[in-house]
Amino acid sequence: MFEQIKELILQYVEVKPEDIVPEARFIEDLHFNSYDFMSLLGELEETFGVTVDEQEVLEIRTVGDAVAYLEKLKK
Amino acid sequence: MDKTKVKTLQELIVTAAAEYGDKAFIREKNGENDADTSFSQLYENCRRLSAFLAEHSGDEHFHAAVIGATSAAYLTAYFGTSGAGNVIVPLDAQLMGEDLCDHLRRADVSVFFYDKRFGAQLDEIKAGCPKITTYICLQDDDTAEFTLSAVLAKYEPMEWKPIDPKAIAAILYTSGTTGKSKGVMLSHGNLIDNTMCQDNESDPSDVLLTVLPIHHVYCFTCDILLSLRYGCTVCVNDSMLRIPQNLKRFKPTIILLVPMIAETIYKKIRAASEQMPGVPMKAIAADVFGGRLKGIYSGGAYLAPELATGYRELGIPIAQGYGMTECSPRISTANWNDPSVGDVGTIVNGCEVKIVEGEIWAKSPSVMQGYYKNPEATAESLTDDGWLMTGDLGYVDEKQHLFITGRKKNLIILSNGENVSPEELENKFTGLDWLADVLVYAEDGIITVEALFSPEFVQSHGPEEAVRLFREQVEKINKTVTSAKAIRGLRVRKVDFDRTTSKKIKRQQSSQGDKI
Repeated sequence: MFEQIKELILQYVEVKPEDIVPEARFIEDLHFNSYDFMSLLGELEETFGVTVDEQEVLEIRTVGDAVAYLEKLKK
Repeated sequence: MDKTKVKTLQELIVTAAAEYGDKAFIREKNGENDADTSFSQLYENCRRLSAFLAEHSGDEHFHAAVIGATSAAYLTAYFGTSGAGNVIVPLDAQLMGEDLCDHLRRADVSVFFYDKRFGAQLDEIKAGCPKITTYICLQDDDTAEFTLSAVLAKYEPMEWKPIDPKAIAAILYTSGTTGKSKGVMLSHGNLIDNTMCQDNESDPSDVLLTVLPIHHVYCFTCDILLSLRYGCTVCVNDSMLRIPQNLKRFKPTIILLVPMIAETIYKKIRAASEQMPGVPMKAIAADVFGGRLKGIYSGGAYLAPELATGYRELGIPIAQGYGMTECSPRISTANWNDPSVGDVGTIVNGCEVKIVEGEIWAKSPSVMQGYYKNPEATAESLTDDGWLMTGDLGYVDEKQHLFITGRKKNLIILSNGENVSPEELENKFTGLDWLADVLVYAEDGIITVEALFSPEFVQSHGPEEAVRLFREQVEKINKTVTSAKAIRGLRVRKVDFDRTTSKKIKRQQSSQGDKI
């Protein structure tokens, strides 16, 4: 799942692939703006066939948070 | 629709149901399928709800608040209340806790329609707002006292009594960048005037995708009321997460946006085009927007002229209007066929505008009835003869195009008595790829600009290059303004500015930037 998310992130922001680590923060480290970030989550929904809660995603700060959240939804 | 026969929201709903009948008015996602609510279904549902409210509200006339995302249920609450002559209070869905209670109390609300996710806060609201006697959940919820679907299933549609166009239809809180929010009272006549002031803006073949918050009157008048008038279908963007998917799914012909969303989508199209050199940008734009888009209306914040030009080159006219909640909201409106750059459209029909000491004053049947229970604030905004003092600075050119140059209350008054509009200087920093945002203010009498650099730029080019470009831009601007208006202080900040819930920079905030 991490690799799939990494691939999608690279379509949104110009960062080096090696910078996308679980600890990387979307806004501060990967330079997402709020609209990009929302759009990425929308695309993750489609990719993994889950429904993301708009309030719960406010807690997601890092790539690792996103992976953990999506894994929880998949169960 | 014969606009001379429609004077109230009730008459708008009745006439739309009679003219457009079973055509889809609201289209919502329901899994892979769409769930449509027709014009006549909405009318019937509203009258069913009115029957319930007449029985449960306790008062002949009452105020009902509604909080949640755009949906057919939300609009049923809105028109089921206001269509029967009661007052609706649409609230910002980001309010919570004591702040939410404060808004409910100050508007004297006795009926509360809420989105299911507010269910967890009901105990706090019940304790904080003893005047509220009836709670209705907009979605199905076993724990709710009443749900909208159960009410609609149980009650027969009531006959609505005629309403005086002067009666208050809605109280809308303004979310200013300073001070406590005020409740703007809009009458039926105000909202209808703004809905009917222009002609031939759209037709029944139009499909809108509504993405803006429904409690804002810009979204409510231009997405909802205009679609009732013209018979358009309004598709609901179910989440800010899914704008790209919903553009492709619903293929709108018209969309209202704020500049930030328009700009981000534009940047995406440009980036995609750089990655696919053989594919024309127009084709990429058509794919992104679903292929049927006629144009974009922009409002709510300053639209950079470069962005308007960029969209025009894609064959998608983007034009901005201007207004405020106090004017229901339109004062000027965009005209896609009149592509002047930098203005906020032409003054709408029936609206007079004059410039008093640089400030825009407007007078029209759309101007509010005042602020709810706040005569002092009303007197500060409305003159005795009905002029709305907008607080915005600007001018009108010979072709009736309106231009905005800044906010009166933000004016920097220098020691020599000269006034400087910070927005006028800030607008000179648009379209720069190294910059995320700027704020201009006076610091010890010196005009200072504080910049937040684009993190992407800083990463690829280094902070020194951003600083160099920042200095260069300031020098360039200083050559275009009088020496009194020249920017002498430069600051760079590393963390984002404090912002309002609508993401505007709060002007009253302490400087966190380093002097350079």
